[in-house]
Amino acid sequence: MLKVLIPTLMLFPTTWLAPKKWLWATTTSHSLIIALISLTWLNWTAETGWTLPNSYMAIDPLSAPLLVLACWLLPLMILASQNHTRTEPISRQRTFICLLISLQAFLILAFGATEILMFYVMFEATLVPTLIIITRWGNQAERLNAGTYFLFYTLAGSLPLLVALLALQNSTGSLSMIILNFNPPLALASWGDMMWWAACLIAFLVKMPLYGVHLWLPKAHVEAPIAGSMVLAAVLLKLGGYGMIRMSTILDPITKEAAYPFIVLALWGIIMTGSICLRQTDLKSLIAYSSVSHMGLVAGGILIQTPWGLTGALILMIAHGLVSSALFCLANTSYERTHSRTMALARGMQMLFPLTATWWFVANLANLALPPLPNLMGEVMIITTMFNWSPWTLILTGLGTLITAGYSLYMFLMTQRGPVPEHIKGLTPYHTREHLLITLHLLPVILLVLKPELIWGWFY
Amino acid sequence: MSPLVLVVLLSSLGLGTAMTFASSHWLLAWMGLEINTLAILPLMAQQNHPRAMEATTKYFLIQATAAAMILFASTTNAWASGQWDITYPSHPVTATITMAALAMKIGLAPTHFWLPEVLQGVSLTTGLILSTWQKLAPFALILQVANYTPPYMLTALALCSTLVGGWGGLNQTQLRKILAYSSIAHLGWMILVAQMAPQLTLIALITYIVMTTAAFLTLNNMDATKTATLASSWTKSPTLTAMACLVLLSLGGLPPLTGFLPKWLILQEVTNQGFIPTATVMALSALLSLYFYLRLTYAMSLTLFPHTFNSVTPWRMTAKRPTLLLSTTIIMTTCLLPLTPSALTLLI
Amino acid sequence: MTPVQFSFTTAFILGLMGLTFHRTHLLSALLCLEGMMLALFVALSLWTLQTEVTNFSAAPMLLLAFSACEASVGLALLVATNRTHGPNQLQALNILQC
Repeated sequence: MLKVLIPTLMLFPTTWLAPKKWLWATTTSHSLIIALISLTWLNWTAETGWTLPNSYMAIDPLSAPLLVLACWLLPLMILASQNHTRTEPISRQRTFICLLISLQAFLILAFGATEILMFYVMFEATLVPTLIIITRWGNQAERLNAGTYFLFYTLAGSLPLLVALLALQNSTGSLSMIILNFNPPLALASWGDMMWWAACLIAFLVKMPLYGVHLWLPKAHVEAPIAGSMVLAAVLLKLGGYGMIRMSTILDPITKEAAYPFIVLALWGIIMTGSICLRQTDLKSLIAYSSVSHMGLVAGGILIQTPWGLTGALILMIAHGLVSSALFCLANTSYERTHSRTMALARGMQMLFPLTATWWFVANLANLALPPLPNLMGEVMIITTMFNWSPWTLILTGLGTLITAGYSLYMFLMTQRGPVPEHIKGLTPYHTREHLLITLHLLPVILLVLKPELIWGWFY
Repeated sequence: MSPLVLVVLLSSLGLGTAMTFASSHWLLAWMGLEINTLAILPLMAQQNHPRAMEATTKYFLIQATAAAMILFASTTNAWASGQWDITYPSHPVTATITMAALAMKIGLAPTHFWLPEVLQGVSLTTGLILSTWQKLAPFALILQVANYTPPYMLTALALCSTLVGGWGGLNQTQLRKILAYSSIAHLGWMILVAQMAPQLTLIALITYIVMTTAAFLTLNNMDATKTATLASSWTKSPTLTAMACLVLLSLGGLPPLTGFLPKWLILQEVTNQGFIPTATVMALSALLSLYFYLRLTYAMSLTLFPHTFNSVTPWRMTAKRPTLLLSTTIIMTTCLLPLTPSALTLLI
Repeated sequence: MTPVQFSFTTAFILGLMGLTFHRTHLLSALLCLEGMMLALFVALSLWTLQTEVTNFSAAPMLLLAFSACEASVGLALLVATNRTHGPNQLQALNILQC
């Protein structure tokens, strides 16, 4: 663990001491090396459920893919932010990179923590850099509103969680994830216990986000600069899913009945947010709502609490992390050229940028879960396990898949096909950097087809 | 003010607090509080300005009344029990009166109305003394009498203070008033555990003093007393502005920063004692205060002034004020959370 | 409650009531404060007399000295606010309100 964490911390001096000319190249290559080192976590040799590099941090098959995803995303974020920070003074560029690095450090500590309270502190610690990225580097005045929504939705959900965790510590004596699995199930019956149960989950459901408490997410995505959108979609939402999987082992006996309303809301949210996507005009907002829709499926898969459900949720989280991040990057490259997120204003891009149109095509196919890709594997696993629970859910999940295909097609057709408007003919061509960026997103998705058990989690 | 007078005033300010700390006798403690009040009044009134005069008068009336009530309660106690000892178990009624008077002295919620107005009328340095040093002596007494006061009174004071501190600050644009309401909210957190775990009150008091010092010194360095002035702070001192964002979020109690330390420990203690609804309400009331800190960070650090300055950028000039204390407190305000175990070992 | 205790308690509480509810003039507030202090002086000296604790006999004088300091500070503030605010109505002290 430290062999990744210490180089991550050493990125701070690298950022501040690197000469101006080499700033972006050094930080990108340094973080890429860190990401490559982190791939060793996927090589699972341990017989036991956990590998414990030290007494406070551990990795298990659930956290390893998410850790690697968090590490993988930093070089991509740095690559993606080069263009829009170009006009800023050098010290602000360095500050921006530092915020991204601190985010990665907090994420590694969050996913690697063995103590739930440590996880909680780091979960909250990611708020500050993200808030600064959104509200300081966003483009429009509404970013302040988006930052407030982001902070207060998350905190209002997670402060009851803190109290609930402290109460749990008081009754069980320990909050270690390793030990808590061996505790006898808590006898939860009263209304107070029900509130405690809800407090334990709602923080993560807000972060996920569940339909109904998702309003902060589209705002944050639309207003954030590209790096903020990428990390939000790819990793920060997954903190919610990860936390729910961890907590659900403790909450066991009453989750069976108490989770019904949340499952219903999550499945209903798939339909609702998918329908919202179908009538979006704003490209980033569309991708953000599509994230909410996919995360609804993940929430359902986790709350149903079957091995297939959990595995499907983890697969979908990883695959969706890479794909939605790629979509945000593509949207941003188009935004940097046309300076508009409105889809109707930038049509027919296939004629202008054929290779980029290919990227759009692949990313959209991955988003709507084309057969060999891991997105499909996750969705099918979750849909199967929901169907096994109640056949009627197939109406919701099936319709959800159909709507996903619909809005992915809509997004592709609106941006890539059709006549080229007169006003966008003088666009700058795509840089190699941007093609590399998308390749580095889509390559892991395609490679995971060959060895999906890396992200199968506990039940491989 | 001539340096000689300033030295006399500051040393008697220290003397008053030290007397209250050291005394075990109510009369001596009262004398310490009085010396403290009498020494700060000339400091507050040093600008001959209507606002300063008004603040001084209000502060004097409140502090004198509160001190008289403390002495009245202890005299009554002496008539009943024959004891002047502070640590001697006092009658619940006199303990309640003493606690009410002390709450009035530090500005806890039902008796908080003087604090924003007084702080608004004085300069930032005097305001810093008022909201940090002047809290020490009453807190020394609070920690000693908290054992004999009814627990519900402390909880009510605490909940009331955090909620009022949060609500009150929402509508303010004057920085000193915002800091006053922030002080009220923080005092509420401290008073909550004054009976269950006095050492946590002490930790909360220390972190509060450090964070408030950082905030006051930052504003003093920027010469800002209104939110509107903060908008131009990027041109005055960029590094300080960037750090000020973290200081304010730390005051709001966001996790990786020092402000989370006392909140965490206090919530843990309250939860362990079984008052889970109280803990939840306290935790959620912190969101109210966080909102106005967040607005300040928006105004100061996270937005830029809409148009550029034509003059020479002020940050190129050398700083006139000493910044040693400022930088120390800012570092402590941002990075103390990992040292929580050491803080616990030192104070418990 | 003995009659002595009752009388000084009543005197103190009347002073406090006057300070709290009769907010017209700064001078009347100062007088009420002085009344409270004198009630305390009576209480302290009677306690010393009644319990015959000799080493406490200086306490009422100390209290009186401090209350004199307080009264003089109050009068100084009366003069100062008179210069800045005109007539010393407590209602006139309103430039700091929210």
